[in-house]
Amino acid sequence: MGSIRIPSPRGAFRVWQRNATIFRKYWKSAMFPNFFEPLLYLAAMGLGLGAFIQQGGINGQTYVQYIAPGLLASNAMFAASFESTFNTFVKLRIDRIYDAITTTPVNPEDVVAGEYLWAGTRAALYGTGFLAMLTVLGFAFTPENPLISSWWALLIPPMLLVIGVMFSVMGTLFTSLIKRIDLYAYYFTLVVTPLFLFSGIFFPVEEFPAPVPQIAWFTPLYHAVNACRGLANGPDLAVAGDVLWILVFTGALSLVPVQIMRRRLVS
Amino acid sequence: MNTETRTKRGGVGEKSTLVAHGLRKSYGEFEAVKGLDFEVFPGECFGFLGPNGAGKTTTMRMIYGAAIPTSGTLSVVGLDVRGNERAIKRRIGVVPQENNLDDDLKVRENLLVYGRYFDMPKKAALRRADELLDFVQLTEKSNADVSELSGGMKRRLLIARALINDPDLVVLDEPTTGLDPQARHLVWDKMRDLVREGKTLILTTHYMEEAARLCNRLVIMEDGHIIAGGVPEEMVEEHVSPQVLEFRAAPEALEKLRPVLQEAADDVETGATGEALLAFTHDSDAVLDRVRRSGFTVENTVYRQSSLEDVFLRLTGRSLTD
Repeated sequence: MGSIRIPSPRGAFRVWQRNATIFRKYWKSAMFPNFFEPLLYLAAMGLGLGAFIQQGGINGQTYVQYIAPGLLASNAMFAASFESTFNTFVKLRIDRIYDAITTTPVNPEDVVAGEYLWAGTRAALYGTGFLAMLTVLGFAFTPENPLISSWWALLIPPMLLVIGVMFSVMGTLFTSLIKRIDLYAYYFTLVVTPLFLFSGIFFPVEEFPAPVPQIAWFTPLYHAVNACRGLANGPDLAVAGDVLWILVFTGALSLVPVQIMRRRLVS
Repeated sequence: MNTETRTKRGGVGEKSTLVAHGLRKSYGEFEAVKGLDFEVFPGECFGFLGPNGAGKTTTMRMIYGAAIPTSGTLSVVGLDVRGNERAIKRRIGVVPQENNLDDDLKVRENLLVYGRYFDMPKKAALRRADELLDFVQLTEKSNADVSELSGGMKRRLLIARALINDPDLVVLDEPTTGLDPQARHLVWDKMRDLVREGKTLILTTHYMEEAARLCNRLVIMEDGHIIAGGVPEEMVEEHVSPQVLEFRAAPEALEKLRPVLQEAADDVETGATGEALLAFTHDSDAVLDRVRRSGFTVENTVYRQSSLEDVFLRLTGRSLTD
């Protein structure tokens, strides 16, 4: 019922600020596993599996060079997905934090927008730490083949923020539709994991026969991976196309969870 | 129905804090609120008394924007609830039925972060938070985790939180439900302080005693309707005789007693559990005398003053708390 609600930036900022206040208390313990996980992938896939991949690697890169930027993108996806699924669910239905917030001048639509921004922020924070680590490790161990080789990589943190917002919109959409927390198994098994495996992080999707590359084009992480890889390796005009895809997809979808979440909070 | 009685503070011409006309709310087929009319004046403590499921919480939710009326009008602090939700929420404070404090924040932080939702400047929020912690006697717990608080302390913190923006109207939904008697009295003290300060309070409750102690005026709700309203003492006077005799005995004995009472007392009601007869009268001695003369052994009889509970029983034939 009612017209489409557009979030107020001020209200959204207040919600973002609430999350930031809490995050400041435990950021060390929260960030640690998130650093660690991509490093495990890098070790297992990059060094372990990579050792079996013929010299010459992929597109002239070593295997570990190839997968490192993609892991930045998937790290942002995981960070934003956890934030917008389990964390948001608890705030919505268990701790009822949103009920408390929406009795103030902050409206439900502001809450959702604030959560998008926060998930993006968290993705960017985690990713920046991980990016720094990749840069250092690359120059320390394989200076002839660094993992991050371009100044354009400085644009990766803001890119991760946008990627985080995109996956927050998707996660929030799912959260707004479910009543039981165990249903996230479907979201992670049927959405997040396939995206992780088939978005060109571990192998180039483009070299598969049709319609695999065409299908990949319609999925969000594929573009996030391309964008991060393009920025890690230097100027690549194709990044603009991926960024545009991400912005259009995120923009088009973003108001849907806003309206559904409003109905969860205002009857 | 006399819901228009003005209190000392709410004089004629003063702008009403709350006005509802023909207010309705349906959820699909289910109609939770079926046409309410009421008016609350500045400085009043106004109660919504009724059993669970009467529509009290739905009415509160419409006041603070968590539910949208299906029809009728509702204005809060002089503003129509349709299209003014932010402006209204800026000027009211809400104490919800269920605790929804922020467990990730300390006691004092709960107030400070809440103040930010109202765009309060940091300095003002700090000052206000400390005043309020003092007011609800939680200063010592300022840096405690919310999870360390008892139920009564949490409720007091919720009250403090609702006051952070110095609201014109405070909405309290079942403010003492689930609290032990001591904690309940402390909450009542705080509410009385607020009324004394001139705040306008509305509260829902299914405790007759709470409504009678705190409210200048109240309405009794049942099944989505307001079935009576007014000043508590006047309502008792209007609807029931001042004295009540409760007779407890086996059902067969009570049935024999009933005609005797019907003759001697003003009104006779069956108690909520069906194991008692309530005789309403102006002269309890005369009634007791008649009962004795009828041969009924009076051993399990309670004498008391009539109360709002009895008003509810008279009007609905049911008890408030079942």
